Amino acid sequence: MAERDGRSLSGLLGGIAQQVYFHNTDITEQQLKHQLFPDLSQEDFRALLEKMTGILRSIASADMDFNQLEAFLTAQTKKQKGIAPEQATVLTKFWKNHKVKIRESLINQSKWENCLRNLSWRVDLKTQSKRLDQINTPVAIVELELGKNDQESEFLCLELNESKVNQLLKKLTEIEESISALSYTS
Amino acid sequence: MAGCEVRLAGGWAGFDNAVERISKLPQDLFAEVCQQIMLHLQCKTPGVNALEVAERLQTAGVELDLEATKELIHVISLFFRSAAQSNMSAEELIVKLTDSSSKWSKQVLQVIRHVWNEQGKQIVTPEDAKHMLTVGQLVDLQWKLGMAVSSDSCRSLNYPYVTMMLKVADSSGEIISRSFEMTIPQFQNFSKQFREVAAVLDMV
Repeated sequence: MAERDGRSLSGLLGGIAQQVYFHNTDITEQQLKHQLFPDLSQEDFRALLEKMTGILRSIASADMDFNQLEAFLTAQTKKQKGIAPEQATVLTKFWKNHKVKIRESLINQSKWENCLRNLSWRVDLKTQSKRLDQINTPVAIVELELGKNDQESEFLCLELNESKVNQLLKKLTEIEESISALSYTS
Repeated sequence: MAGCEVRLAGGWAGFDNAVERISKLPQDLFAEVCQQIMLHLQCKTPGVNALEVAERLQTAGVELDLEATKELIHVISLFFRSAAQSNMSAEELIVKLTDSSSKWSKQVLQVIRHVWNEQGKQIVTPEDAKHMLTVGQLVDLQWKLGMAVSSDSCRSLNYPYVTMMLKVADSSGEIISRSFEMTIPQFQNFSKQFREVAAVLDMV
């Protein structure tokens, strides 16, 4: 397969990923054909596009590692109306380069709850208070920016004294221990 | 104090009385109260403690019970808030006030003009802050560690995430809860920030 074909296929896979995983609406089927495979007939291009989309979706959905990928693509080359070995090479290289970003996009697509968009904080010192025991007590002001999907952010502003912060740290340590336990078992 | 419609025009039976009471306050005391209210409207403090204000006023010899103090704080907050929403200059605010009631004293208006010039711009208005939820005390934090296994777009998601549920008490004592998710790296950053906060608190 000529180098040009390899690059065209790579470009096609990029275009598919843009449409399917990165929600880029600027890229159309017509553009892809025109720029990458001008010599192919409409039917042939459509068939190529569908085949490659299907393969990419399978790979991404299973979050294949490179062993699984090799086995999968080898099987594809053996199928009737499957793919050519050169195409398998292009696909492997593409997945290697884009796996992380595509996976990130898939993870984001399934996040429907509030997420933490930003966290800022400062520490204030109370210099005046009716209660003498509150003078010179430092207090942390923490602002959490929360939001879901495309919605605008909601801000939660908390005032925490040292004791509250320490209680919070204890909980954070518990969470960290749980996460470590998870890594050992998975 | 949230959720009240603001009308600076008269037509509120107790308004004139409230204005009269405000106008009787010693200038420096009134300035103090305005200052506290400003800090609250600028979202720098969680709220104005009416009880503390009432005690302060009584110590200074002003005869105002808790209810009257609350009303005073309410009236002052309302007109500051309304002026911020309409982007008024100090002059415009003074004109509006004098139109609303004949009971405003010159000294009180002077304080208002001064406070507004110095600090009016920093008030957080509903437009800026429509997403500003609350400033409050953290009452409770609960967490869970979950694993997303599969979704309709990806059969093999396999990513762990931390969900937190916070309960926060605002200045009126009302408790609201909010939950949010974090990926592990986000949680690690969250953790790191709080440890930094603790370190600073310790140092100060």
